[in-house]
Amino acid sequence: MLKRMGLIFVIVAGLITFTSPDGMAQKFPAKDITLIVPWAAGGGTDTIARALVKNAKNYFGVNVNVVNKTGGMGAVGMGAVATAVPDGYTVGLITFQLSTYRMMGLADLSYRDFGLIQLLNQSPASISVAADSKFKTLKDLMEYAKKNPGVVTAGHSGAGGGWHLALASIAVREGVKFNFVPFDGAAPTRTAVVGGHIAVATTGIDELLQLYRAGQVRILAVNDTKRHWLFPDVPTIAEAGYPNPKIIYDWRGLGAPKGVPADRMQILINGFKKCFDDPEFKKLAHDLGLPLAYRDPKGFEEFLKEMEETLRPALESVGLLKEKK
Amino acid sequence: MQLELLFEAFGKVMFDPINFLFVFIGVTSGIIVGALPGLTATMGVALLIPFTFGLDPVKGLLMLLGLFSGGIYGGSISAILIGIPGTPSAAATVLDGHPLCKKGLAGKAIGMATIASFFGGTVGALIMSFLSPQIAKIALKFGPPEFFALAFFGLGIIITVSGKSILKGLISGVFGLMITTIGFDPLSGCPRLTFNSTELLGGVTFIPALIGLFGYSQVFQGIEKILILPPVKSELKNIIPKFKEIGSVFKTMVKSALMGTFIGAVPGTGCDIAAFVSYGEARRSSKNPEKFGTGILEGVAAPESGNNGATGGAMIPMLTLGVPGDAVTAVLMGALTIHNFQPGPLLFRDHPEVVYPIFAGMILAQFVMLGVGLGGARFFASLINIDRRVMTPIIFLLCVVGSYAMRFSFFDVGVSLIIGIIAYFMNYYGFPGSPILLALILGPMVEQNLRRSLIISHGDPLIFITRPISAAFIFIGIFIIITSYYRIKRAMEKEEKMASVAEKERID
Repeated sequence: MLKRMGLIFVIVAGLITFTSPDGMAQKFPAKDITLIVPWAAGGGTDTIARALVKNAKNYFGVNVNVVNKTGGMGAVGMGAVATAVPDGYTVGLITFQLSTYRMMGLADLSYRDFGLIQLLNQSPASISVAADSKFKTLKDLMEYAKKNPGVVTAGHSGAGGGWHLALASIAVREGVKFNFVPFDGAAPTRTAVVGGHIAVATTGIDELLQLYRAGQVRILAVNDTKRHWLFPDVPTIAEAGYPNPKIIYDWRGLGAPKGVPADRMQILINGFKKCFDDPEFKKLAHDLGLPLAYRDPKGFEEFLKEMEETLRPALESVGLLKEKK
Repeated sequence: MQLELLFEAFGKVMFDPINFLFVFIGVTSGIIVGALPGLTATMGVALLIPFTFGLDPVKGLLMLLGLFSGGIYGGSISAILIGIPGTPSAAATVLDGHPLCKKGLAGKAIGMATIASFFGGTVGALIMSFLSPQIAKIALKFGPPEFFALAFFGLGIIITVSGKSILKGLISGVFGLMITTIGFDPLSGCPRLTFNSTELLGGVTFIPALIGLFGYSQVFQGIEKILILPPVKSELKNIIPKFKEIGSVFKTMVKSALMGTFIGAVPGTGCDIAAFVSYGEARRSSKNPEKFGTGILEGVAAPESGNNGATGGAMIPMLTLGVPGDAVTAVLMGALTIHNFQPGPLLFRDHPEVVYPIFAGMILAQFVMLGVGLGGARFFASLINIDRRVMTPIIFLLCVVGSYAMRFSFFDVGVSLIIGIIAYFMNYYGFPGSPILLALILGPMVEQNLRRSLIISHGDPLIFITRPISAAFIFIGIFIIITSYYRIKRAMEKEEKMASVAEKERID
């Protein structure tokens, strides 16, 4: 009796081990997929995530539900993705901060902890002043700042953030010293420049769209190799006289935990590519001024590797490099 | 201001039963979400956003606005009934609302909260509808020194919400300020007091802390007395306060509504601060400051009028500047963006078809709130008659769920419990919880803006008094601290003397 029980057990166990992965793989995804967003509901990243998966049912056959898991400068949410069960049902939005955690000594987390799915966007920084500022061009600003070191107040959205580092790296190269004023996010930064509390603001260019259209800010340059379609009269950083070979972009992408079975990973990669190509998503991104930039997993990995190399000297220049050598 | 556009929108929203229905659904679910400890208006709005995708944007927004108003009001219900603020903005309502409930007057307290919320909300919504561009201009004048001065002024309220001992209140406040220094510091880019914990990088999250401070500590006290306390019989008649009672707090309601709207309109300060400032000012300027905290209707009317006034106020910078006034409007801003109406200076010009319905919907939501609130007050008040032995475990469960649900984190459940245990003992030794909460709300604002201002001025502290708005807040703050200190001290002495006289008479 006992022997037979044992036999049945072995057979059942065998059935489970050998048949179920195949059986489930054919059906993947059989239930809703969770997309973890490491930033708060209503913010820029959250808006993009929700817009991306709005029509996901058409491409996956199931819904992709956004779950906001915030805290720790995004490290909590991204960490949760990296350590999730690698069955393909949990994926996450990963953002710029992932490139700096290790170098800034904040968390032991980098792109190497993820199965990369795709790059979504790379947004360039902008350098802006209030509409009635005495600085008409980037040259005006840089020359004045060079003659008066530490006088020009430059607001940014947080120390070690993409915009801070973008302006800091330009300043270091040009031998200019700004009085950096850190704010908590882009919204207070741009309000401070319009209200005249700081002389210069560095933010993502798309974050200035409304103020730019309303004529309340003058954008001196966009830190990119080409002009932005919604800001046709804003010169690129090179056109403004300060060519920048190593451009720091704010980026967002999608990642899964490491170890998701290859066939499922392929389904995720293809499905999210279709979400990315969804006309409704493309239109929203276009109207918001968000520069979409698709890269496949391999291209994404190269991009992230380069990004770390670009960021290292920038972080060092502002004294935030704490990488253990 | 195109009045006809507003009236047209008003007509459309008012007389379209479907629109009305959406406002109604929003308000009702807002009250429920608001009344449950741990589920806040912010979370409710965030949860509802996906449901608005398939809707006409205006209908979706009406529902979200209803939820916002209802949620801020709903927090007062649990504040009154169980002494746990359902939302942070109801924390000041606990101070007098819960003692009223202990006197058996829960129904009347809820009635008062409803009327005050309606009044404050309507004032806020009207100011938003008619004065948004003008107020936005003032909001732009707020730079780091002004924010610091405003937060300093706000911290002055600690004295008025300290209860019996001002010293113990200040100690609580400092404890709260110390908690806010934990986590990643966005100004220097360095982690502080995190002990290499990724979870602590974001600091102690606000909602779990709130649940710990008010939720768990209440539950623990409840358990302690579960068998000895006689059940409170809640009076279910006279839910609607008498005309005379409303009249006696009318001045307070007006003052609170106006202050609330203004505070809401300053970016980064929300309904919670508005409620505390309103309560503090009502107590400071009252002839009987010693009665506050013992359960008087004025102590419910002030914060409720103030926090609902702030709902309209908080919408102003969001709509006109693209800067959210508080956490809920930050989420609402995302909702507008995803429907492709980017808030900012051009919204009024480019999308009047969504701006005016927002105004109309916000006003309508107040009336719906009044109806639902007064209609449901008797039911809410009867909840308190449920046996304490049933109620306490349910509240405990809600606390656990609430602290988890904020960001699906067991870590937060632990944080909440630890703070709850600390708060229980602090309470036991007479250290009040409200100053801790006030410090948690204002700590980052006061610290960051102090440092930011000093960076701008190259270390010169004169920056705070050479700018008019900042100087005004600093001086008003100092004035309020000094006057409330003396008034409350005198009131306490008076009360003590009366108590000792009574004691003597009893002995004689």
